[in-house]
Amino acid sequence: MFSIRICFMAIRGLLANLLRSLLATLGVIIGVSAVVSAMSILEGANRDILRRFESMGADQIIVMNGSSQRQSRQAVLPSLTEDDATALQSCSLVAAVAPEVQASTQIKYFNRNMGVTVLGTTEAYAGINNYNTREGRFLTAEEVRAERKVCVLGHKVAEELFGETTAVGRRVKINAMPFTVVGVMEKKGVLGFRDVDNQVVVPITTAMKRMFGMRNVMMITAQARSRDVLEAAIQQVKRTLRAEHGIRAGSDDDFLVFTQEQFKAQLADVTKIFTVVLGSIAGISLVVGGIGIMNIMLVSVTERTREIGVRIAVGATGWNILVQFLIEACIISVLGGALGILLGLLFADFLENFTGVLKTYTPASSIYLALIMATVVGILSGIYPAYRASRLDPVEALRYE
Amino acid sequence: MGSSIVRALDGVDLAIREGEFVSITGASGSGKSTLMHLLGCLDRPTSGLYEFDGRLVHKMSDRQLAAIRNRAIGFVFQTFNLINRTSALDNVTVPLIYGRKTNTRAAAMEALRRVGLAERARHKPSELSGGERQRVAIARAIVNNPRIIFADEPTGNLDSRTGRQILQVFHALHAGGVTVILVTHEMDVAVQAQRLIRMKDGKILEDRVVDDALRGEMEAADERFQLPQAMARG
Repeated sequence: MFSIRICFMAIRGLLANLLRSLLATLGVIIGVSAVVSAMSILEGANRDILRRFESMGADQIIVMNGSSQRQSRQAVLPSLTEDDATALQSCSLVAAVAPEVQASTQIKYFNRNMGVTVLGTTEAYAGINNYNTREGRFLTAEEVRAERKVCVLGHKVAEELFGETTAVGRRVKINAMPFTVVGVMEKKGVLGFRDVDNQVVVPITTAMKRMFGMRNVMMITAQARSRDVLEAAIQQVKRTLRAEHGIRAGSDDDFLVFTQEQFKAQLADVTKIFTVVLGSIAGISLVVGGIGIMNIMLVSVTERTREIGVRIAVGATGWNILVQFLIEACIISVLGGALGILLGLLFADFLENFTGVLKTYTPASSIYLALIMATVVGILSGIYPAYRASRLDPVEALRYE
Repeated sequence: MGSSIVRALDGVDLAIREGEFVSITGASGSGKSTLMHLLGCLDRPTSGLYEFDGRLVHKMSDRQLAAIRNRAIGFVFQTFNLINRTSALDNVTVPLIYGRKTNTRAAAMEALRRVGLAERARHKPSELSGGERQRVAIARAIVNNPRIIFADEPTGNLDSRTGRQILQVFHALHAGGVTVILVTHEMDVAVQAQRLIRMKDGKILEDRVVDDALRGEMEAADERFQLPQAMARG
């Protein structure tokens, strides 16, 4: 009851000096809003990336071009080939293998055309990714072997070019080359890092030799027989590729192997770094904010010396005065924190709507954290001024001009 | 109060009984303010004894002093010392809050009614006249029903007519059984009390009952008294 009344007293005091209170807490407002919006962006990006990782199976082993030696400054030449994919197929712990190449180009059907991603792969792609056709069928092994000019359209591509009418059997031009549509994929959204609905799948052989003249594949997805043998399968994949590439013992791999788990772990590492950086910025801005509040509280104590004298004269103890000024500092700071949260949320929302690319997500923990930090800043910056107020001699204070 | 024995300042030996109306007078620096601060439990004597209501004040903790000031003592100041940003009612409520009273609103309104200011309760000090402000200050001093009121130059910032009205309030309080101690350097105010203590250089120069003889003497000496005082005030 008593502290509630002191709170009311403090709030009334602050409202009487609204502008000054706001300016005092400006540092906290800016600090908190920066933290909240940055955390929203970070967490939004994190969730977006995680969602993509999770769209790939947990039993997948992703092999990419590149060197595992981080210090290497030389541009890494692509090393993966179709033969590697064939070699991996004979691994005992690997259930299925799908090599991939991709390129951006135009697809055309009569007068309609659109920009698409062409994915060159094999018949195993649909099964590994659990990604099925809703119309017609997927590529066959025969079509891949024979470099056939057939394609499977992504959901959005089919809608765009054919609307309600059936696409299977039609002839389209991809990169100015005629292809026959054999199937349309189900609606899926994102898979890995691609928007597969906006993708056209063709045999990898056709893409590499007939369309783009490529010699290397960009990525090979190998599916382990089960999650239990994932680690063993990774070792098997590495051994096989090293043998294929003729790498001697002691030399580094000329390829990179990832699993969903590793991607997630790396993401967590990156997130941690960002969090530490953000935390330091937040810490600095809150220290600055705290100094602002401490400054204004000291001014307030000096200004209200007589008032403090009167309060002591009518029966306030030093402790009462201390608590009153501490609460005032906390209210200023928490007010700043609340405004900062609001501003941060608005800013994150604005960024998401304005850019259209950034996804933001504000974790509830960031809001609790901001409020707790604002309270702590309030207490820390209020202690000294409140202590000074509580130690005033009433006789001196009443005489103060 | 019963028979409080007071020893303060430089060899000051003084007893004030419950229900008395005492004025303390003297020039600036005569020690009258210090005496009031000691009597009002705002300060402790560096040496000597002060017994308030049978309790030794110089041995009390700050917390105990605060409790005495809150419950048994009311202060009225020359410059009113109201908190300007809150209403008259809120100002009167302050001692009740520190006394951890409930139903403070009703008690504060009652105190304002006693000083005839109930209808101005919502006004801020800046919207009130000097006399009204001093009434608010008195309401604040009496809201916890103290047994003793200290008034430090309560009419010093008021014109003489308003000053007389404020003194009437003190007379009414005294009639209601409250001990009133009035600190002033104006003799015409001082002689309103029943007993007059004149201070000089930290000592009691004179301690006497105010009677018609003194009032007559005061009127005769009016000019003599007022002139040096006005000069001393600058």
